[in-house]
Amino acid sequence: MKHARERVVMLADCQSFYASVEKAEHPEYKDRPLAVAGDPKRRSGIILAACPIAKEHGVTTAERLGDALAKCPELIIVQPRMALYIDVSLIITRIYQCYTDLVEPYSIDEQFLDVTGSLRLYGSPEELAALIQARILAETGVYTRFGIGPNKILAKTACDNYAKKNDTGLFVLTPDKLADTLWTLPVSKMFMAGSRMTRHFGAMGIETIGQLAATPLDKLKTLMRRKFGRNSDINAELYWRIANGIDDSPVTPGTHEAAPQTIGHMMTLPRDYATLEEIKTVLLELTELVCQRCRSKGYMGHVVSVACMGADFDRPTGFSRQMKMDDPTNVTNQAYRAAVQLLQRHWDGLPVRKVGVSLSGFAADDEYQLSLFDQNREKWMALERATDAIKQKYGDASILRAVSATEAGQALDRSKKIGGHYK
Amino acid sequence: MRKKLEGNGLWESSRMMLPEHKAAIIRHTESLKRRERVQLDEQEWEHVSRAVSESLQRRQPITVRLFHPMELLTVIGIVDRVDELKGRFMVDGEWFPIADIEGAALEESL
Repeated sequence: MKHARERVVMLADCQSFYASVEKAEHPEYKDRPLAVAGDPKRRSGIILAACPIAKEHGVTTAERLGDALAKCPELIIVQPRMALYIDVSLIITRIYQCYTDLVEPYSIDEQFLDVTGSLRLYGSPEELAALIQARILAETGVYTRFGIGPNKILAKTACDNYAKKNDTGLFVLTPDKLADTLWTLPVSKMFMAGSRMTRHFGAMGIETIGQLAATPLDKLKTLMRRKFGRNSDINAELYWRIANGIDDSPVTPGTHEAAPQTIGHMMTLPRDYATLEEIKTVLLELTELVCQRCRSKGYMGHVVSVACMGADFDRPTGFSRQMKMDDPTNVTNQAYRAAVQLLQRHWDGLPVRKVGVSLSGFAADDEYQLSLFDQNREKWMALERATDAIKQKYGDASILRAVSATEAGQALDRSKKIGGHYK
Repeated sequence: MRKKLEGNGLWESSRMMLPEHKAAIIRHTESLKRRERVQLDEQEWEHVSRAVSESLQRRQPITVRLFHPMELLTVIGIVDRVDELKGRFMVDGEWFPIADIEGAALEESL
């Protein structure tokens, strides 16, 4: 059998993506420190992205706006424009697609490219990466960094640990280089290893990625079983593979078209909600959004889940529970009835900061079970077809339930946002 | 859980995608699949019309390729009628527009 040709996979990452897009849009701020920050009036007033100049002044992503201004008073604050960032991300996707059809967006600013078949036309992986990098900078003003390797995990690792830090923004990581590079780094630098996992590895006597890689898999499984129980075998293998740079997952362009397992929405409230009435208002608004999305995709969900998170971060409270409804549905009122039951049964009465609703257990919505008890279903479905069509045409804020006009209502505000930030 | 170790599982379970971004990607992918109409030249038209009239007159099964914006569409059957005035033809009781034809061939009779 002929040995398959080694793959060449790249992870391309956009530097300070939101801030770079804003700087390209505002040439007048070119040489000044700039940060994109959530609404300063609300709790979400944190730094979402800071440009390299701002970072030199000590501004860091996710810190509070006030703290950033204290460090860098001349910082230019720009409100996020999420729809624009999505557009630019797609422009970049299209540029990658000029060089290979195997492009998989991994997040708004990171995308995987499999260029194995394109190198014949463009020379070495570094040459191709440099070419794409220059073109994206010229066309969008965004600086990209490329991690290059024989698989996705090595590409990602190369990007996070090396390409982001060197002058060219390019780094090739091959398995024979691991001993001198990745394996010398502490476990905390490893992909998927958070602070908690790093602590656990430390307790097992594993300090560097190399030590983890050198631990025999069976031994690692035993060590992790002692900490996390019998179900940790898969995670043990996952970390072990990451440390050894083993990953056979393909770059999958169609990955986002797969049918979702669940559809859900969650939101952080602008202030803590303490009464049942107020929480029910956002619960209804979220259920409406979830059902609306299910209707647009032609799904009915059988299982409703509700999650509430308490207001006190130091003493976490709240719940996340689900229940199976009598029949699958995507009618807001039916799903809401179940969601309220969950809320009433499990809410402990303490103030709530975050609420989420999701539907799962999908079936197609072209036929449904008639019920003796829900005589209104046909009526509701007709009503929702009409309201969905109005929203589709004139925007989500064009028609709202009356509760959304109360003080607790968030639908109007939410309709102006993507991912919790302004469109 | 097992899925994390299979296929694209590691990356599907760890990615952060906004639903709006996902929707935009799907719209973009769809638009890439959108097909352009094929222009037939005179010779090709002649070939098509010969195949169609053959099928009509001699009750021969025919395969007609038709334009569809998203997919490959072929009609297989016997041409029952051709209505030039309205620019349509009928295969097995169903009308199709003549203008959508991109190619036609008689089924090889055994």
